[in-house]
Amino acid sequence: MWRAGSTVTASSKPVIELKNVTAGYYTAEGFKTLKKVFKPAITKIDLKVNDGERLAIIGESGSGKTTLLRVILGLLPPLRGDVVVLGEQIYRVPARLRWRITRQIGYVPQDPAKSLNPRLRVAEVMAEPLARTDLSEKEKAERIRDALRIVQLHESILDYYPSQLSGGMMQRVLIARAIVHDPEILLLDEPTSALDVSIQAQIINLLCSIHEKLELAMVTVTHDLPVAQYLADQAVILYRGTIVEKGPMEEIIAHPRSEHARLLVTSYLSGLNGLDRINRAEGVSAGIKRETQR
Amino acid sequence: MVLAVKSEGLKIGYLDEQDNVLWAVKGVNLEVSEGEIYCIVGESGSGKSTVALAISGILPPHAVTEGELYVYGNLVIRGESRSYEKIRGRLVTYIPQSPGTGLNPYLTLGDQFYHVLKSLRGSTRKEAKAEAKKYLEMAGLDPASTLDRYPHELSGGMQQRAAIALALSTGARVLVADEPTSSLDAHLRLQIANLLLRLREEVKLTVIFITHDLLLASRVGDRVAVMYAGSLAEVGKLREVLLKPLHPYTSMLVDVIPTLGVKKQLKCYSGEPPRPGSNDEGCPFFDRCPYRFSKCAAEKPRLSLAEGDRYVACWLYGNRE
Ligand SMILES: Nc1ncnc2c1ncn2[C@@H]1O[C@H](COP(=O)(O)OP(=O)(O)OP(=O)(O)O)[C@@H](O)[C@H]1O
Ligand SMILES: Nc1ncnc2c1ncn2[C@@H]1O[C@H](COP(=O)(O)OP(=O)(O)OP(=O)(O)O)[C@@H](O)[C@H]1O
Ligand SMILES: [Mg+2]
Ligand SMILES: [Mg+2]
Repeated sequence: MWRAGSTVTASSKPVIELKNVTAGYYTAEGFKTLKKVFKPAITKIDLKVNDGERLAIIGESGSGKTTLLRVILGLLPPLRGDVVVLGEQIYRVPARLRWRITRQIGYVPQDPAKSLNPRLRVAEVMAEPLARTDLSEKEKAERIRDALRIVQLHESILDYYPSQLSGGMMQRVLIARAIVHDPEILLLDEPTSALDVSIQAQIINLLCSIHEKLELAMVTVTHDLPVAQYLADQAVILYRGTIVEKGPMEEIIAHPRSEHARLLVTSYLSGLNGLDRINRAEGVSAGIKRETQR
Repeated sequence: MVLAVKSEGLKIGYLDEQDNVLWAVKGVNLEVSEGEIYCIVGESGSGKSTVALAISGILPPHAVTEGELYVYGNLVIRGESRSYEKIRGRLVTYIPQSPGTGLNPYLTLGDQFYHVLKSLRGSTRKEAKAEAKKYLEMAGLDPASTLDRYPHELSGGMQQRAAIALALSTGARVLVADEPTSSLDAHLRLQIANLLLRLREEVKLTVIFITHDLLLASRVGDRVAVMYAGSLAEVGKLREVLLKPLHPYTSMLVDVIPTLGVKKQLKCYSGEPPRPGSNDEGCPFFDRCPYRFSKCAAEKPRLSLAEGDRYVACWLYGNRE
């Protein structure tokens, strides 16, 4: 369901805070040397996500979006800077204990087809996030059923293998897995880009309703500005690893300030000219003859 | 008016391991005029690429065909037999989806032009270089700084332009572009779209533009064919189809596209397209159609003239022949 904004009011309690974060990868330089050099993928990132907020991280391919999520998930220690998740400096916590904090994050990875183990049934996939909890088997089964109900999948899907699922069903399974342990933060990496438009709309509406029901902070990574418009109220624009613009989503669309944001906004607006877009918003499906010949 | 591509009752299927045919394209009639930018849109698995491969003459050997397909009057598919000798790579050329796959990674751009032109027309190095310059410029690339580069030294957008330049250098009259921009960023997508528009003006190129992005299609296309589950649901002028979709499936597509700066609720249509090989009786959109009635389950509607020059395959429109 889409409204001008979400009904969940974001509090001013930050659940994620990044201060001056630089992170990247060590890559081999040339063929002959084994020397590894550090290549930053994101530099000097300052970012705050409040409880209940919907934030979009928008950027082109290679701009560092996935890297940023890895840092938040506790998977990639930054070269510099502080990463605070739910009040804890996660990289000051020993790596083997870090999961106690990061399990509060639900995560939907970028490529649905590649991120499910082909040998595991949906039932096993769904149980993964519950493994280290002290819930009884009965409670776990209950949680899994609830999560499936939220993403509108039938329970019979538990017996399926990933290869038997369509793209849309797979994405629903991944979303169900991300919320099955009732996390406080939901991170979505390009949640709709592998899907067809009609399925994409289903997933967008689903994610909006999940945000309202579960009242969590939702961070969506995407290269698609129109999709971000539906999934977020706040946005940051990432360009070559740095944040070039941040603010309310509507503000950025209406008045992009940075060069890059302007380029991005105009390349979407020129898809159809203004007149067409307004006509379309008002009179969609006007063409269908409603007096059907029953 | 010269027809660049025409098909009649074109059916294309693929043989599975048990030698059963799964039909991916189920009787399609296309008419594309010379110099037209003709878009084919539809969801994953609807058969777009299969049509593209058929026109380009690169269907795999395990593909099965029925019906007829003409390219510039040459009969290339006639029932089960296919022959593309005079067409493939000469009259028609194909641009694949991801940037770079249309290029050889081991050769500089200059060498790629040389190899292609030598094998097609026996060009010398010097002739090939002159041609390469001409087409790279046409594609908006600077020959001086690109001729000696390898594909991986170019950005995705530049690779895709280079692939287009290389394809055009063959003198092809029809360019089949299968999702040529889907892996590019928004502003690069627009650049490629503008390039195609310009080429149509300059060399009267016919472009078959395959995409699932209806908005991008609206930017480049003259006409659009909307495919669903291997059949054409609607064919018409792009603008008109977008502003006033007639087929319920086209309506759905228009309803579910998020548009920047337009505040509308995305309508929820449940369901997914039928799986290949599922039963073929009735309208393929039946399960998801809000306007279905009993006839739709029993009989498959054929594409027929609904109003003006708009063709629709839907019983709501009487389905006159
Ligand atoms: N495992 C890795 N090792 C080395 N370099 C990497 C690795 N992962 C990403 N990079 C590099 O870091 C930069 C940012 O990559 P990242 O995956 O964060 O981008 P992205 O914005 O998610 O892009 P996309 O939209 O394509 O997913 C890129 O230049 C990429 O090549
Ligand atoms: N080489 C092949 N062998 C067997 N089946 C194939 C082959 N190529 C495509 N198919 C099948 O034919 C049907 C149509 O596929 P096609 O690739 O034409 O669809 P498409 O509209 O291009 O989809 P997409 O948007 O995913 O590219 C699908 O069911 C697909 O599985
Ligand atoms: Mg990524
Ligand atoms: Mg395809």
